[in-house]
Amino acid sequence: MERLAVTPRADWREHVERDLGFAFHTIAGAPYWDETAYYRFTAAEVDAIEAATAELEQMALALVDRVVQTGEEAFERLHIPRTAWEAIAGSWRAQEKNLYGRFDLAYAGAGPPKLLEYNADTPTALFEAAVVQWDWLQAAWPDRDQFNSIHERLIEAWKNFDVGRRRVYFSAVKNHAEDVGTIEYLRDTAIQAGLETQRIAIEEIGWDGQAFRDLDREPIDVLFKLYPWEWLIGEEFGAHLVTGVTKVIEPAWKMVLSNKAALALLWEMAPGHPNLLPTFLEPGRIEGKVVRKPIYSREGANIQVLDLDRVVAETEGAYGAEGFVYQAHVEIPAFAGNYPVLGSWVIASQPAGIGIREDATAITRDSSRFVPHFFE
Amino acid sequence: MKKSRSIRLVLLGSASMALGACGDSALPQDARFYPTVQECAADYGATACADAKVAADQALATEAPRFAQKQECEAEFGAGNCETRQTAAGGSFFMPLLMGYMMGNMMGGNRYAQPVYRGQDNSAVVSNRGRLFNVGNFDNAAGRSAFRPATRVAEVRRGGFGTTAPGYGAPGG
Repeated sequence: MERLAVTPRADWREHVERDLGFAFHTIAGAPYWDETAYYRFTAAEVDAIEAATAELEQMALALVDRVVQTGEEAFERLHIPRTAWEAIAGSWRAQEKNLYGRFDLAYAGAGPPKLLEYNADTPTALFEAAVVQWDWLQAAWPDRDQFNSIHERLIEAWKNFDVGRRRVYFSAVKNHAEDVGTIEYLRDTAIQAGLETQRIAIEEIGWDGQAFRDLDREPIDVLFKLYPWEWLIGEEFGAHLVTGVTKVIEPAWKMVLSNKAALALLWEMAPGHPNLLPTFLEPGRIEGKVVRKPIYSREGANIQVLDLDRVVAETEGAYGAEGFVYQAHVEIPAFAGNYPVLGSWVIASQPAGIGIREDATAITRDSSRFVPHFFE
Repeated sequence: MKKSRSIRLVLLGSASMALGACGDSALPQDARFYPTVQECAADYGATACADAKVAADQALATEAPRFAQKQECEAEFGAGNCETRQTAAGGSFFMPLLMGYMMGNMMGGNRYAQPVYRGQDNSAVVSNRGRLFNVGNFDNAAGRSAFRPATRVAEVRRGGFGTTAPGYGAPGG
C-alpha cells in the first residue's frame, strides 16, 4: 500500500459535473474529491481487505441474531429505545434483506485490517467509491484493476429485493447536496434494476392515520431512507414506522449495528479476533491510548483520544447523550502527512469494494478528502 | 477482476437533468386557487406572485391542452368550455377556458403555479405532463371566485420526520 502523488486531469471538474452529475466534489469551498494522489495496493493486500470485510459482515449478522435472541437485556445495553425492539426482532425474523453498509478499517498494508466502526444504516461516500473513482481509473489507468464492483452489485441487489412491483421512495433531508446526491445515485441503480422509483424529502413524508403518503397522496409502501433509524423512531411519526406499515430500507434490524455499542458487543462475542479492536462499554478496561466514541454519532463528531485520562485529541459535535464506548487506539501511519481510513463496502452483505478517505488528522471527519485507488 | 465491467448512469450525469427541481405532477398540500395571479399577493407577497406568474404563463404556453377542432376540445372539457387562441405564427387552436391558477409551495422551496381550466360539470382541472388532474369545482359557470377544492379523503399531516437533523451534522456518514 503506497500513496503516490499525481497530476490531476486538467478538466476533471467539468468532466465529473457534466458526465457523472457529481455535484459535491467540493464541500464548503474545500476539495473533497482529491485526485492529486492515489493509493496503490497489491493484489494480496486487496484480498486481505476483502476477506476481513466478509468475515466482519458475518460476525455482524451473528451479533444481530444474538441480540434478537437475548432480547431486552441486549437491547438495553445497546441503548435502543423499547419502542423499536419489536420492529428489530420482527424484521430480523422475517429475514428482511439489507442493501448496503460500510466498514471503516484501519489498514496500512501490514497486519490484519482493524475495524474502527461499522456504518450499517446510513453510509455515504458511495457514489464517489462506485462511480467517480472507477471513472478516474478508466481515464488514468485503464489497464489496472480496482477493488470496486459496487455499481454492478447494487443493481444486482435491487433485482433480488422483495419489493415486487411496488414503487420505492428514496428519501433524504432537503438541501443537503451530498445526501441528495447519494440517494439519486442509489435511485439510478434501482431504475437500472427495473424498479419504479420516486424521490421525497424526509420532511415531506405525510401520514394520514393509516399510511405514509407522498405529495400526490399515494401510499409509500417501500421507503429507502438516508436518515438514521434512531432519529426516525424518536420523531413524531416514528411510532407509525415501527408498526411495519411501510417496508423500510435499511431494515430495522440495522439499528443493532448502527450504534457503536455494537463494537463492544462484537468484541465480547469474539474477543481477540484479529479484525477487531478491544472495545468496552465502560472506561478503564484498556491499557494505553483509548478512543472514546459516542454510542450514536456520525461524521467523526464528539470523538476523544485519551492517554491515561488525558485528552490528546478531540472533535466537536452534538452527540454523546446516550453514553460512550471505549476502543483501543490504533496508530494509523501517516502517508505524506495524511491519515487514510478504508471504507470497505458490503452490498447485500457481500464485499464489494473500497473507498479511501484521508484527513490531515487521525480522526476522519466530514472534512476528509476522498482519494482514488487501484491495485496490481 | 474486481472492478465493474461497465458503468452506465440513467439518472445522473449528461443523460439527464434529474437533480433539478421536483418535476412530478404533485399538487402541493397547501395549494390554493387564485382567480388572478395578483390576488395571491396577500398570501405570498408581490414579488413571489410576479415570479409565479412567469412560471404559470410558461406552463400555459407549454402544458395547456391544445386542439385543432373545437369539438375535440369540448369532448374533453365540456360544451362551452373551450376558447380559441392564436399561435405566434398566425394559426389558431382551441384550449380549455382559463379560470385562474393553483398556487402553493413545493419541495425545495420552489413555488407551484399551474393554470386551472374549467372542465366537465364545472370541474376545476390542471394539466401536468399530459395528464389532467381534478382539483375542485366551480359553483357555477360564471363564478370564477366560487371555487371549492376537491374534498380530501383524509387529512395528511407532514413534518413528522426530519426534526432531529437540524441539531446535528449530516444524517448520512
